[in-house]
Amino acid sequence: MNLTSFINDLLGFWSEWLRPSAGLPTVLWSLLLAAAAASGHLVQRYLGLPKVVGYSIVGAVVGFAGFEGAIWPLRGISLFLLELGAAVVLFEAGGRLPLRWFRHNPMVLGQSLLEATLTYFGVLWTLQLLGLPDPVANPIALMAIVASPAVLSRVIMDTRASGPVTERAMTLATLNTFYALALGYAQAGLIERAPQTLLQKLYPVAVVLGLSFVIGAILALALRTALRFMSPTSESTSILLLALIAAGAALTAHVGGSAPLAALIGGVLLKTLNPKPWAWQRQLGTAASLLTMLMFVLVSIVAAQADWTLPVASVVLAVIGVRLFAKIAGVAIANPGSGASWKQAFWVGCAMSPLSAIALLIASNFTTASPLLGTMITQVALPSILLMEVMGAVLATLAIHAVGESSVPWAPQAFSTTEDTQR
Amino acid sequence: MTASIGFPDSSNAPLVSSTTGSDDFRSPALPADPASRVVKLEPFNRSEALSLGVELELQLVNTHDYDLAPYAEDMLRLMAQTPLPGSVVPEMTSSMIEISTDICHSAQDVITQLSPIREALIKNADKLNIAVVGGGTHAFQQWHERRIYDKPRFRELSELYGYLSKQFTIFGQHVHIGCPDADAALLMLHRMSRYIPHFIALSASSPFVQGQDTQFDSARLNSVFAFPLSGRAPFTLSWKEFEAYFERMTRTGVVRSMKDFYWDIRPKPEFGTIEIRVFDTPLTVERAAALAGYVQSLAAWFLQEQPFEPTEDDYLVYTYNRFQACRFGLDAVYVDPASGQHMPLRDHILMTMTQLEWHSEALNATQALGELRTSVEANRNDARWLREKQGKERLLAEVVRQAALRFRGAA
Repeated sequence: MNLTSFINDLLGFWSEWLRPSAGLPTVLWSLLLAAAAASGHLVQRYLGLPKVVGYSIVGAVVGFAGFEGAIWPLRGISLFLLELGAAVVLFEAGGRLPLRWFRHNPMVLGQSLLEATLTYFGVLWTLQLLGLPDPVANPIALMAIVASPAVLSRVIMDTRASGPVTERAMTLATLNTFYALALGYAQAGLIERAPQTLLQKLYPVAVVLGLSFVIGAILALALRTALRFMSPTSESTSILLLALIAAGAALTAHVGGSAPLAALIGGVLLKTLNPKPWAWQRQLGTAASLLTMLMFVLVSIVAAQADWTLPVASVVLAVIGVRLFAKIAGVAIANPGSGASWKQAFWVGCAMSPLSAIALLIASNFTTASPLLGTMITQVALPSILLMEVMGAVLATLAIHAVGESSVPWAPQAFSTTEDTQR
Repeated sequence: MTASIGFPDSSNAPLVSSTTGSDDFRSPALPADPASRVVKLEPFNRSEALSLGVELELQLVNTHDYDLAPYAEDMLRLMAQTPLPGSVVPEMTSSMIEISTDICHSAQDVITQLSPIREALIKNADKLNIAVVGGGTHAFQQWHERRIYDKPRFRELSELYGYLSKQFTIFGQHVHIGCPDADAALLMLHRMSRYIPHFIALSASSPFVQGQDTQFDSARLNSVFAFPLSGRAPFTLSWKEFEAYFERMTRTGVVRSMKDFYWDIRPKPEFGTIEIRVFDTPLTVERAAALAGYVQSLAAWFLQEQPFEPTEDDYLVYTYNRFQACRFGLDAVYVDPASGQHMPLRDHILMTMTQLEWHSEALNATQALGELRTSVEANRNDARWLREKQGKERLLAEVVRQAALRFRGAA
C-alpha cells in the first residue's frame, strides 16, 4: 500500500466516522480556532504583543499552506461570519460614538474628515503615480480610509487602556469606518456602470445608507424595547443583543445594504434613544471574543491567498506608508482647538493604522461586482490588510503605551515580575 | 489661595531621600543623629479672622461606562487657558483633580468663585468628552486600575504607601477658616472637633465602594484611617506647646512637615488657618458652599461668644461619634462630650443651626444654613440621594451618570 492510498483510506474512514457529526470542515475550523486561541495567548505572554497578532499569524500560516476553508472572494457562510463579527464590533463602536462630543468639540469631526480625505486622496494619487488605473486605485483608496475598530478594541482590551488617545482613536476609527462602508458598498455597485452625473454617483450611497439606516433603526428600537423590561447587566440581554445583530446582518445583506454599517448605525441610535451607560460588554464576553477571533483568523487566511511578488510588495508598502502619513497629518493639522496635545495627536494617528475585516469586506464587494478588476484590487488590498492587521496592532499597542494609557506594562507577562503602578 | 491638601505637594521636602528603587523608601537616609532631624515649625501667619477657603477634590469619568478616566493632565491643560479665581491642581491618581477658591469672606463669596470654576470644568469636560462628578467615592471603580499621576512627589508617596495610594482615590472637601492668631487657631480646632460628626453627616456622599453598598453614609473616611498619623490632633491649646510637639515628632524622623499629618482638622500655619478635612465632596458646589457657610458661622460663634472650653475629655467620645456619623449619617446617635447625653445627631445639628442664626445672618450665610436645615429636616443628604437613585436604577454606572448631571445642575 503506497502513501496516497493510505491517506485516502484514512480520510475515507475519517469521513465515515464523522458522518453523524458536523463534518470535517467543522473539525478543522474548531482546531484552527483552538490553535489561534493558544497562539494569541502565547504571543501575549512571551512576546508582549497583542493577542490579535497570534490569531493573524495562525490564519496566515494556514492560508499560505493552502487551507481551503475560506475562498476568495468570500461568499456564503464565511462572508456571513465575517459580516457578523464586524457587525458585533461596530454595534458596540457605534454605541461609543459620542454625537454630543462633536457639538462641543467640532474639531474632532474636523480631524476625522481631514484624515479620511487626506488618506483617500494620498493613496489614490500614489497609486495613480505608480500606474494603476482609476477603477483599481479608487477601491484601494477607499479601503485605506478604514482604521479597524475591531483590532483597536482588541488592543484596548489587551492593554486595559483608557484615556484621551485611546478614546479619540476609537472614535475616529469608527467614523472613518462609517465613511468607507457607505462609499465602498455604494461604489462597488457602480464599478462597471461608470456613472456620469453627481446624482448618479450619490444615488447608490443614499440607497446603501438608507437601507442600512432602516435596519439599524429597527435593531435599535427592538433593543430599546427590550431594555425597558430587561436588565442591561443580564446575560439574557447579551444573548438577545447578539441574536438580533445576527438577524439584522442577514437581513441587511439580503436587501442590499451593508450589515456592518447597519449595526454601527443601530449602535449610535440605541445610545441616542437610551443614554444610560452600556453594561453588556462584560456579559458579551467569551461569545463576542470567539466571534472576533474567528473574524481575524478568517481575514488572515483569505489575505494570505494573495500573490506575493516584488512589484506588488513595493506598491503595498507605498500604500501603507502614505496611509500612515496621511492619517497622522490629518489628525495633526486639525489638532489645534481639539483639546489634545501634539504628542497625543501623533499617537492617535499611529493608533489608527490597523486594517482588518471592514477593509476586506469592501475589497470583497468590489471583487464580487467585477471579477476582472477585482483581481487587480485583490493583489494590493489583501497583502496590505494582512500586513496592517499584524503591524497595525503592534503600532496601536506602541501608541497606547507611549502615551501611558495602558494599565499593564509592555513587558511579556511571563517575564514581568510586578505590575507597574506608575504612569 | 493656592493650597494643596490631601497628599503633600511636590514643593514639600520628600518623605524619602531617593526615588531610584522601590526598596529605598524602606530605609530612608535620615540623619543618624535624631537631634539633627528636628525641623522647626514655621510661624503661624496672619490671616483675616473668619476668612474662608474651600478645596474640592473631583472625579473625572468617561461618558461611556462612567468609570473613572485618566484625564487630569488634559483637564489641567485646558483649565489653564481660562482665567479663573483660585486654582486647579492634580491629585494622587490621574482621574482626580482638585479645585480651590481664593480667600473668601462668606458662603456667598464661595459660590461666586466656585460657579465659574464649575462652568469652566463642564465646558472643558464636554470638550474632552468626559464628565466631572462630585461625591466622596466613585461608586464602582476598582482601585487597582488607577494610575498614579506623573509627578515626583506622587511617585514617591506611591512607593511608600503601596496600594494605599491607589485606594486613596477618594474625594473630599477641605475648608480653611482664618484665625486671629496661633493660640486662637488651636482653641478653634479643638472646639470644632465636637462638630466633626455634624460635618460628616451633612456632607456624606460615599455609600458605595468598589460596586458595593458599604452600609456607611461616608465610607471615604475609612480609607483615610489606614494612613499613619490620621484621626485627631493632639490636645494642646498653646502654639508654643504645639511647636514643641512638632519638634519632638520631627526628631523621631516620622514627620518632616505639617503635611505628614492626616488629621481630621489640622492647623495650617502658612495660611494662618485651620483646615477641616472630614467632608466628603458634595454632589454640588452649592452644597459645598453651604457647608463652608456652616463652618464659618460656627467659627464666628466660637470667636464672639466663647461658648465652651474644649478639654482632653472631649476626645473620649470623639471616635465613637465619628463612627456613628460615618455609618448612619443624619440618623446617627450623638454623644455630647460635655454632658455625656445621647441624642439624635439630626436634632443636635438643628440645635446648633438655631444657635448660629444670628451669626449666619451677620455673615450673609442665612440662605446657606437654610438650605442645610431644610435637607436635615427632610432627613436627606447626598448619600441618601445616591442610594435612592441606585434603588431605582439598579445600575451604579447610571447613578454616576445622574450624579454627573447633578454636578452640572441638570438633575
